[in-house]
Amino acid sequence: MMQYPQISIPPRSEHLWRYTPWKRIHPTKVVEMPDSDPIRISSGVDSNMDDSDEIARSFIHAISKTCKKIILKDETLELDLRCSGHICSGELNIESSGNSTLIIRISGDAGWTGVRILGTVKGSLSMATINDLSSDSHFLRCEDWIVDRDSELEFANLSAGGFLNKSDIRVDLKGKGAQMRAGIASNGYSFKHDDHHVEIKHCVGNTESSLVMHATCNDSSHSVGTGLLTICEGADGSDAGQVFRNLLLSEKSRAEAIPELEVLADDVKAAHGAASAPIDVDQIHYLASRGLSYEEAAALIVEGFLMDAFREIKSEEIVDAMRTRLLVHLECLVNG
Amino acid sequence: MLAVENLHVSVGDTEIIKGVSLKINLGEVHAIMGRNGSGKSTLANVIMGHPAYEITSGEIKFKGTPIDEMEVFERARAGMFLSFQYPSSIPGVQVGTFLRKSVSAVRGDDAPSAREFRKELKMHMEALDMDKSFLSRYVNDGFSGGEKKRLEILQMLLLNPKLALLDETDSGLDIDALRVVADGINSITPNAGCLLITHYQRLLDHVKPDYVHVMIDGKIVKTGDAELATKLELRGYDWLEA
Repeated sequence: MMQYPQISIPPRSEHLWRYTPWKRIHPTKVVEMPDSDPIRISSGVDSNMDDSDEIARSFIHAISKTCKKIILKDETLELDLRCSGHICSGELNIESSGNSTLIIRISGDAGWTGVRILGTVKGSLSMATINDLSSDSHFLRCEDWIVDRDSELEFANLSAGGFLNKSDIRVDLKGKGAQMRAGIASNGYSFKHDDHHVEIKHCVGNTESSLVMHATCNDSSHSVGTGLLTICEGADGSDAGQVFRNLLLSEKSRAEAIPELEVLADDVKAAHGAASAPIDVDQIHYLASRGLSYEEAAALIVEGFLMDAFREIKSEEIVDAMRTRLLVHLECLVNG
Repeated sequence: MLAVENLHVSVGDTEIIKGVSLKINLGEVHAIMGRNGSGKSTLANVIMGHPAYEITSGEIKFKGTPIDEMEVFERARAGMFLSFQYPSSIPGVQVGTFLRKSVSAVRGDDAPSAREFRKELKMHMEALDMDKSFLSRYVNDGFSGGEKKRLEILQMLLLNPKLALLDETDSGLDIDALRVVADGINSITPNAGCLLITHYQRLLDHVKPDYVHVMIDGKIVKTGDAELATKLELRGYDWLEA
């Protein structure tokens, strides 16, 4: 396996690196191996993780001084990742079994944060990830999940903080009957650049996946949502869907929504869609007719649009956590 | 309460309302009937201030004050309410949250405390035979036609308007639901004016109108009492065009 310095820099022609190239998300010059402070992780035991051939994962692995293992079995865990210093990074290895819930909150004022997560799911895991980093932070996040036979991963993500974010999330549905549902909500404001790339691989048949990404884009923000859905040869009976929606709130904001399908099996259901639009005037009129000013109506529609990304998430605990955090975040934005 | 004087309304180059005059006093129920496309819904929307319509001449007064320059939300806060024929869905916004915000906005300083609000809400929902699980659903999202109309009436009861404009509130309702909704309408009319837009006599069996107006091609061509609705049910609209 090659280590970070030997891995060639990926070209922008690659789907993953089209909108946020490696040079842009790297904290220094790409040939450098900067010193990194460890992320303070509120739980887990010290552990080690294998290196990776993928450049971002390999980089985080190379500079990280902390790796924690979290074992969940029929439990709920709230995990705080505190990020401070110029450059900060860490790795997490998560093993979940039974019916478990995990809420990860990533916060702090680090200039650059790198997080790598490896997870395996046996049973049912409902998880929430909340990016609550300061509004000038750069954030690179790489996640790899394996969902076993007859197991289920629910994955809710709220991107509230950060200035330049890149998330690369990959889920392999490895065993028959494996399911995953993902909801991603991204709130764009100021000059925030928020890039989510999600790869879901149906390795075997009779597996289900659903991905919903909702991004609101205000001011001069830029949202990127790219998805790659792969249904492998022989994975018949797979059922997969991806939808990316963007709510454009200003003339200067931008949004890219690019779902891609690679279907190598014959008997499957696979759907994808993307839409970008401003706020519906009929929604504004309806709320105004109920006494809400136009600003109040627009704020409520934005809140609803972001929460609607979690429509497929069945865990009320996760949805409530997302709603609470989203309301605090939106209120903080309004009140400066 | 409401005075509409010689109102002309256009969308683009097309004139839809062609000189409508109408007065609704407190406690009065007016029904407007007419064929599809005759301008009934446009009239309700214009009174509520929908930005898609342009008033080219005429005037609308509410409580004696011209409202042409008032924003939609200002009209709502002044005591006007429109029950939409096709209410918009607001995905991600829970009904309970929406109702609380709306009541706070419209009733302002007189808005109930959280506890009083819950009490009022429970009372009205029971009256409308609505399950409390409604409150955690998203506004009009995936609702059946009947559920949407019940939610509209629930909002009307909570907002306690002085003028209720009800645009085809009876459509999509089964017989039992129609009676429940009609009871809701009857409960506000002693203290409010009401304009019902409907195609059918059946709502008027439960809500007795003081006046029935027939609208054809953007004009009110005939006004009568409740008997006029019965006559329309039997004879249609052709005899009014002759």
